[in-house]
Amino acid sequence: MTGVLAPYVAFAQKAFAREATYRVEVFANVGSLVLRVYLVRSLWTALYRQNAAPADIPLHAMITYATVALLMSLILEIDGTGTIREKVREGTIATDLMKPISLPLYFFSDGFGRTVFHAVTIVPSLALALLLVHVDVPSGAALAAFAISFAFGYLVNFFLNFLMNVVAFWTLETYAVQLTVRWASDLLSGQILPLAFFPGLLGAIVANLPFAAIYSTPLRIYIGELPPDAWPGAIAAQAAWLALFAGAAAVAWRSAERRVVVQGG
Amino acid sequence: MPIIETHDLRKVFRTVKRTPGALGALRTLFSREYVDRVAVSGVSMSLEEGELVGYIGPNGAGKSTTIKMLTGILVPTSGEIRVAGLVPHADRKRNARNIGVVFGQRSQLYWDLPLIESFELLRAIYGVSAERYQRNLAEFTELLELGDFLNTPVRQLSLGQRMRGDFAAAMLHDPRIVYLDEPTIGLDVLAKEAIRTFVARVNAERGTTFILTTHDLADVERLCRRIVLIDEGRIIYDGGIEAIKNQYGTHRTLVVQLTEAYPEFAVEGAEVESRSGDVVRLRFDRRALSADALIRRVTEKYCVSDVSIEEPELESIIRRIYVEGYSEPGAAAASEPVGA
Repeated sequence: MTGVLAPYVAFAQKAFAREATYRVEVFANVGSLVLRVYLVRSLWTALYRQNAAPADIPLHAMITYATVALLMSLILEIDGTGTIREKVREGTIATDLMKPISLPLYFFSDGFGRTVFHAVTIVPSLALALLLVHVDVPSGAALAAFAISFAFGYLVNFFLNFLMNVVAFWTLETYAVQLTVRWASDLLSGQILPLAFFPGLLGAIVANLPFAAIYSTPLRIYIGELPPDAWPGAIAAQAAWLALFAGAAAVAWRSAERRVVVQGG
Repeated sequence: MPIIETHDLRKVFRTVKRTPGALGALRTLFSREYVDRVAVSGVSMSLEEGELVGYIGPNGAGKSTTIKMLTGILVPTSGEIRVAGLVPHADRKRNARNIGVVFGQRSQLYWDLPLIESFELLRAIYGVSAERYQRNLAEFTELLELGDFLNTPVRQLSLGQRMRGDFAAAMLHDPRIVYLDEPTIGLDVLAKEAIRTFVARVNAERGTTFILTTHDLADVERLCRRIVLIDEGRIIYDGGIEAIKNQYGTHRTLVVQLTEAYPEFAVEGAEVESRSGDVVRLRFDRRALSADALIRRVTEKYCVSDVSIEEPELESIIRRIYVEGYSEPGAAAASEPVGA
């Protein structure tokens, strides 16, 4: 088993190392995050003074939500599958196909290695952020449920990105698709704004879109908006989206691969 | 048993027909008219293990398409392929373990990482044992003189260094077959020579089979005994380099250095190919006239300070075949007017 996985462990390690070579970028990221945490606190404090808030999320929970969402974005904004697009456009995908490896697994492990590196930078970011804002810490059970839910959110996000980038096999230029999906995802996933802010029917629709599985579900578990008896159902919904997206990604990849081997890319 | 065998290999690319103009572009969106382009048309060849074959032809002749089918990343339209007993496209990953690939135009090394880290990644990909990896790495480092830049990030390497790194990368897992696609493109004379020496040595010592695609026929002349010439998707010649040289190399060139600039220059039985100042190049058929006789004719009429004879290079022969097409031995000789 380790023999089969060895290449993918190595890919993740190299991706981690590669990410670490851009030191200035790492420091800039941490700095920018701390600034964003401060801005988010100021923004929500001001908004709450205008009574703009929904009744069931108090200000301290809102600031916790926004801060944890920013920390999560350090990991979730890494598009590990962006290399698919580059490789298709530059034609280097052919060289990769000449190796005895599974390419989707390669992209996953490469993205995962980069993610792990950025996860490490969360620690100093959080430490600095805590000097500026107070962040609630939930119970151990809630933290555990949050971690599981976050893992599902990570995978849903991975497959969403994967699908977007596999489009490159058909149209080399995928920027417009990417941008649209990213905007939709930023707004509808609960990253910028808790989905509780969406009114009535719109709120009901947004809560049931796949984007909610990425940020909203883990965050609602974290701030206690979801009670413990609602956790299994919420995580099951994430798992369902994951299954659907993973299935779609498998179909898309198979047809992309067929396109390369029949049409020569 | 041959290590590579293809039989009547064909590849036809099908693309949507495009109509020019804005309206045409709109129609292309909806129309389902296709155009077929035949890239490879009935290629049959057979290579024994340990051969080093030059696979040459003009741009667009079908070389890369053939190589892609041999590596398993392109499915043939029809025909059969076996590489080391496997059908490449049906068994892509297993076939990948038997082959190594070097592209002159693109690198398989990791741009941001030191060269050695790309090697370690390849070791993990192919599951090369620690002992074999160390042995190969030591040998390649010595042969290709990689020692000075093993720890340099690939993006900082010169083209020659990068290519040497790419060669080592392609061979760390001891592939039985290596495909080289224009491996010396853009390299200086010294780097070219280092690469050629390396290939010749690996071929001789390890018995690795090589297929070399290149436009630099000096590579082929230096390394290969056999060439396969392809044009418009068909094999037009498959055989020894010496044979094709003897067949086409009926003419030699005598270069004459004159002591003074004669206004007129003409010698019976030879054609003035070019003349610049006091150097004259004379093309003659060695079957009709011996070099000795020609030199005597020249020196009877003119004062000469130096003479030399040039053999035709493979390059000029191939160029002629591209232009005129290949003709069978005998036919080639007969169609050539003596003294032309």
